[in-house]
Amino acid sequence: MMHHPSNRLRALAVLATVALALAGCSQFEPRDKRFYYRAFWNFALREDLAELDSEFNGVDFGHSNLYENLLLTGGKDVPAIEDRARKETLAFIATKPRLNPNEEAIAPTYMKLAWRAQNTFDEAHALHRATYDIMASDEPDKDHAIRNVLAYYQESAYAITAKRLDHHRLDQLPYSKTFRKRFPLFNATIWSYHYLQVAVYDPLQATRDLEAKTQAVRPILTTYHRYLEQPPVEWTFMPLTAELSPSFAARYPEIADIFDNLHMLHDNISDILASELLPTWDAKRAEIYRLVDSYYLASADGTNPMIVKDREQHH
Amino acid sequence: MKRPAWHAISAVIVLLLGLLPQPGFALDHDNLDPNRPIGMEDAYAIPKGEIGMEGGVRFNDRREGRTRVTFQPQIIYGAFDNTQIEIQGDLMSDPHTLVGAAKSGDLHLGVLYNFNTETISLPAFAARVEVDLPTGVNSKGIDTQMTGILTRSFGRLRVHLNAGYTILGSPQGKERPGAYRAVAAVSYPLGYPTSFRDTLIASLYTRESDLRGRRNHTGFELGLRHQLSSRLVLDGGLGTEFAGPADRAALLGTIGLSVGF
Repeated sequence: MMHHPSNRLRALAVLATVALALAGCSQFEPRDKRFYYRAFWNFALREDLAELDSEFNGVDFGHSNLYENLLLTGGKDVPAIEDRARKETLAFIATKPRLNPNEEAIAPTYMKLAWRAQNTFDEAHALHRATYDIMASDEPDKDHAIRNVLAYYQESAYAITAKRLDHHRLDQLPYSKTFRKRFPLFNATIWSYHYLQVAVYDPLQATRDLEAKTQAVRPILTTYHRYLEQPPVEWTFMPLTAELSPSFAARYPEIADIFDNLHMLHDNISDILASELLPTWDAKRAEIYRLVDSYYLASADGTNPMIVKDREQHH
Repeated sequence: MKRPAWHAISAVIVLLLGLLPQPGFALDHDNLDPNRPIGMEDAYAIPKGEIGMEGGVRFNDRREGRTRVTFQPQIIYGAFDNTQIEIQGDLMSDPHTLVGAAKSGDLHLGVLYNFNTETISLPAFAARVEVDLPTGVNSKGIDTQMTGILTRSFGRLRVHLNAGYTILGSPQGKERPGAYRAVAAVSYPLGYPTSFRDTLIASLYTRESDLRGRRNHTGFELGLRHQLSSRLVLDGGLGTEFAGPADRAALLGTIGLSVGF
């Protein structure tokens, strides 16, 4: 028995029909995962400054765990967030994880709700990781390597704008500050992560050998752990790169702005997930995507009203 | 199981462990590819730009006939957005006795395209197209396979459905000219919330027999993928066929390693 070629054509037609039907669906969304910038210094931080690397692995858990819990509890259950979810995060950090966690296993519902925002985070987090790796490595031309990873990052359709955004305006949206008012401990914990993520740049940049780098980041780790035990609820705004690593921010202003914008987007999404002004998952998703598309992605630079015209403006 | 199978498996385990590179999160143990370690896959391609080298040994201890051992080297590449291409060339013991599409030494080329990521209302869908070029022992004609893949999660539990059809380019003797295969599988990450290194996978499958006039092979498999380091995933699986022709599998087993860079 021979198969007629029309059978194959029929199968291809079915596949094409499925593809077209999917493309027409309102929730159709491409996955678009991209591999990190490949270089010999990949994972240098993990291999040579494991103490710091494991803290970043803990931070990865914290954001995803928060979003999943906010979504599933409707953003109103204070003990579920401040007590249970926060302590889960602290317990994970305490395990000093050698590898970064699988965030889709931590926040399966959130990932389905707002994949585009997650992909935006993933790309920016990869930039964070790459810059740490370069600084921890013996790469002779670190400046060149950092500019290469920035260029690679900016090729992505999910790249956050490298322009300075008006964070105070972005913090005055109708639902802004909902999260920090209702969940001050977890908010301060998140800001503590952001403290760690940006405070280590100057010490890493200023030291040459691994021993010196290890010693230089240790006080920051001590401070970070103190913040985890006693979250700095007195802070009124997220830590900024230029305040904690001024040399790094001066040398790489675009990267500093990307990281500050990334951290502001984290705060915006926490507020959206906690706010009653956006009562349904559909409404939350629509607002997250509106923000990402209009105010955060570099592709919106031409029309983004949140871009600060004067680069000297400070918070 | 017969002695040669154990020898082959032992040799490959030693080889794989000896090749372990230094720890260097690239490879994702939650991204499921066929045969790593069981015969199912999820709807997602590897990230664009990633290269993966995978290898493993699979034994099939049959109720009738000799135990069959397959070495499965494979290279996968995230060539485009949401698209992976694959090159594979299975090498099997007793190559002259094989029937069906899979022949020892055939060059296998495949493309997996993921249409979408899963959302609250929509599962993830993918399609796979594969061709087997007749480079192997007793192989004739170009075999073609098309598979539709769906992944849907319920909390941390993910459900995967695979449905495929293989068309033999030049069926020989009593070989079927075409055969379908259907798999229902689940995967679940073990260790939450303190560990994220392991994924458990279980599947139930049925496929048409290679020869006409015989019953479907129907069985189940259980597998585990373990993240050894940032770049390395170790996998192992076991299974059995509880219905099918007389030479169906009594025990199936796989061990393998994947390296992503």
